[in-house]
Amino acid sequence: MRDSSILIVHPDRKTQRTVQRILGATGRRIDVADELEQAARILPHITPLLVVIDAALATTPAADALLASAQRKGARACLALLGGAFDHVPRIIGTGAVTNLLVHPMPVLAEELMISAQKLVRDDLFGAEKYLLWGTELEIAMVTRASQRAQIVSQLAEAVRARGQSARVASMAMLLADELISNAVHNAPVDASGTHYRRETARDGELELDERHQVRLRWGVDARYLAIEVNDRFGSMNRETIVRSLGKSDMRESGGGAGMGMTLCYRSCDHLVFNLAPGKRTEIIALVDVRHPPAERVPASSYNVFVERAS
Amino acid sequence: MTETFGRMHVDVAPTGELRLSGSIDETAALPALVSRAHGGQLVIDLAGVSFINSLGVRDWIRMQQAAQQAHIAVELRRVSEPLVHQLNMIVATRGDARVSSFYAPYACDACGREDSLLLDAIAYGDRLARLDPPPQTCSECGAQMAFNDFPERYFSFLANG
Repeated sequence: MRDSSILIVHPDRKTQRTVQRILGATGRRIDVADELEQAARILPHITPLLVVIDAALATTPAADALLASAQRKGARACLALLGGAFDHVPRIIGTGAVTNLLVHPMPVLAEELMISAQKLVRDDLFGAEKYLLWGTELEIAMVTRASQRAQIVSQLAEAVRARGQSARVASMAMLLADELISNAVHNAPVDASGTHYRRETARDGELELDERHQVRLRWGVDARYLAIEVNDRFGSMNRETIVRSLGKSDMRESGGGAGMGMTLCYRSCDHLVFNLAPGKRTEIIALVDVRHPPAERVPASSYNVFVERAS
Repeated sequence: MTETFGRMHVDVAPTGELRLSGSIDETAALPALVSRAHGGQLVIDLAGVSFINSLGVRDWIRMQQAAQQAHIAVELRRVSEPLVHQLNMIVATRGDARVSSFYAPYACDACGREDSLLLDAIAYGDRLARLDPPPQTCSECGAQMAFNDFPERYFSFLANG
């Protein structure tokens, strides 16, 4: 795997150079193509760990073939960069091949790009601290009974306000923590036959959670991002289901409730990260940009779906 | 007298207006509120609602559907920001309700203060339709505050479909 490289496919030379400089920090070889045909010619000669592609190119049929080939050659992820035309996000997600999307108002978001690449290169996926400045304290709350959710969410909002964040940010924190905890308590538990046996359980009922069913919430804020991280010990989510839920185009017409929580989370935060260890653990991190006011932020959200390599 | 439904509280004003506060979630039982309509009208003040989750959204849609079936006109007053976000994301939450006023985010460039300020959707109807939010004055330093979101995103619920 040490010989694996990173393939950049982007028509804009300036962006190519910027991305190359950022990802060069991983120490991996970087191959660059202006367009898909050129990338297809390069691909047989390399072993890409990651394909970084312009989001507009990613929605073309030729991209499907390229990304499928890259995957067969061991590429662990396709990361699309979207710097404009943000209303195209549902179409990009709809391709199913884009496992990671970074939206960015500037030419490129260096931090997010570097973090995404390094998580794959090092196979070190878990932990919200990767997205926060060094030294940021992460608070922890364990959910040991289902009924604790409301209290924990309410305390989280108060604590976020106490750290000087606005009521809007506290409100977002409440929504994200509530939906993610609810998902971990009720949707994540799965038995050997693959049945999600708590999915239909009333959300307002009480459930004592044994060690395996307990859910861990961690959160921190560094004046750039508020990070809400929720962990379960089942690892029952998979990449296809996640990408499908993020790309729900009928969100605006749909009813609420079952199945809508994750879509709602994605629309409510700036970056949603899924770290999956199949059968062992799922970690979801929601990031809310607290540095820029809403009017100065990109009207679309990034996402990552990382899957731990089988040991 | 305040009634409590889970984490949501309901007060009834002398005019019959229902004042909701707290959290709208799986415990709220919103459709039952339709029976409180007077003369075919249900007026709901939402200034005190600080939180709504996806199950609360489902309940909210059921309330709107129940009102439509009973031919009850719903008026929403002082809609809080968390609810405006849901009205914008999920068209079904709007039902046939008329929004007469709502809270909107403003920020002061001079001192950095952020506020949620009440806008009259009727008085400012023309401006809001042009996605031109009215200027507001900062309560802390007196400077002019600017609208603090994308107008085309934040005001989309006013199009009602």
